[in-house]
Amino acid sequence: MATSNNIKKKKTKPAIISEDQITKKQSTLYAFISFAVVVVLWQLAVLFLPNFGNIFPGPYDVVALMIKIVKEPVGRLTLFAHLGWTLKRIFIGYIIGAVIGVITGLAMGTSKLANAIISPVFEILRPIPAIAWVPMAILWFGLGEASKYFIIGFSTFVICALNSIAGARATSEKLKGAARMLGASERQLFSKIILPSSVPQIFAGLQISLSASCSTILAAEMVRSEEGAGWLILRGMNTGNMTLVLVGLIVISVTGLILATVMRAIERKAISWSFRGK
Amino acid sequence: MNNEVVIKCENISKTFPTADGTAFDVIADFSIEVNKNEFVVLIGPGQCGKTTLINIIAGLEEATSGIVTVGGELVTEPDPKIGVVYQETNLFPWLTVMGNVEFGPKAQGESKASRQERAQKYIDLVGLTGFENQHPNKLSGGMQQRVGIARVYTNEPLVLLLDEPFGHLDAQTRYLMEEELEKIWRQERRTVLFVTNNLEEAIFLADRIVLMTNCPSTVKQEYIIDLPRPRDITSREFLKIREEISKNLDLTS
Repeated sequence: MATSNNIKKKKTKPAIISEDQITKKQSTLYAFISFAVVVVLWQLAVLFLPNFGNIFPGPYDVVALMIKIVKEPVGRLTLFAHLGWTLKRIFIGYIIGAVIGVITGLAMGTSKLANAIISPVFEILRPIPAIAWVPMAILWFGLGEASKYFIIGFSTFVICALNSIAGARATSEKLKGAARMLGASERQLFSKIILPSSVPQIFAGLQISLSASCSTILAAEMVRSEEGAGWLILRGMNTGNMTLVLVGLIVISVTGLILATVMRAIERKAISWSFRGK
Repeated sequence: MNNEVVIKCENISKTFPTADGTAFDVIADFSIEVNKNEFVVLIGPGQCGKTTLINIIAGLEEATSGIVTVGGELVTEPDPKIGVVYQETNLFPWLTVMGNVEFGPKAQGESKASRQERAQKYIDLVGLTGFENQHPNKLSGGMQQRVGIARVYTNEPLVLLLDEPFGHLDAQTRYLMEEELEKIWRQERRTVLFVTNNLEEAIFLADRIVLMTNCPSTVKQEYIIDLPRPRDITSREFLKIREEISKNLDLTS
């Protein structure tokens, strides 16, 4: 049809390019430059400021140590094995916390009854920092992996639940009305309107809680462990090896980056229709 | 003309409580009948009760007093036999054009082949062939309204309520959409109640125009428009009717 073709042509050409828009290539270049500047300034500080190297090892030492422990184990394991353990712990704890959090949040945001029952308990649990659960977690789940999943899962749970509540409550009354007008039942109202319209907010929660779960890994690995990034930091602290502490920090950061990238890719697929999906 | 009454509003009133405790009358003693396959346009001042009235007929809001029946049955809640096209389109942004258009029959459990065949028919009818897999945010305002119209038609309602569907569109697109809607309606006759505050649009589309008063809204006068379709908005007869009605129209509010 002639009219729709005309409209289509107009749509595919962006009318105005805003000034702060930058291309992907530029973006990569800027990222590289800013990263390089930080590393160079860091190394310069170590070289020229007296004593700085003692309290803050330079990038050269850190990279050298990292390369060394790719082959030589620290404690029981080499670098990538530590990374793998941390990744696995965050991943499992995060998934458990996220699933329970999203379900709880959607229930609370959708049903007044569920909210009345759950919210008193939730409001009590909510302000407790994950690290405060360490003694309890050991008592309940022992010294093994389960207690670590619990500590990581807890922080994820709270954030995911809060965002899912907000998402479900923000569902447009007009869209609900439109769905009812088209013949949707109460159950379909949940599965076809409330759930999909909460998805952007749920993903916001998943992204934020991913950072939170990376930050609780240290607490989790303080519960007797012999592996992982958190353990590397503790080991470095106990032996006065600041370079190892920095290696631990980098491992946590890389873990977070890997998971956030994966999550972002899933998000983009899931909500291409929304502003967050762009 | 078929005289079977499909939409019947009897003495509808709607009062909203205001912040200072007094009552604000939006609709007062409003009665109207719409016959089968008739195109009735409600026209009245902006901001006064027209959307509320549509919501009451659609079962989305309750009247303070009065009765609404559609197809002889009392309206108490939203019902697929009462289709609504909204001014703000209210498309589901996470669904494609096809997903939106087939939403109604899908929710009601119709088989995929059957519902998609009908959805495709109306997508073609509103001129969106080729856009089935696009999301609404990729479409222009006029195209979004077309999706809204196709969505309602596919659900095969007994009546169509259109609440200022072209109110947000620019003038050119608005003319185009009026022509398209009129064409679609001539091909697929339905009982239509169309709300607008644009007199030209009303005369172009209506079999009958119901003129509403300022707040609280009630029926001021009715006009039968028996010009041949499609109408020419610059013809002498058209302009004559327009002049006659506009004298009686209080659009200032």
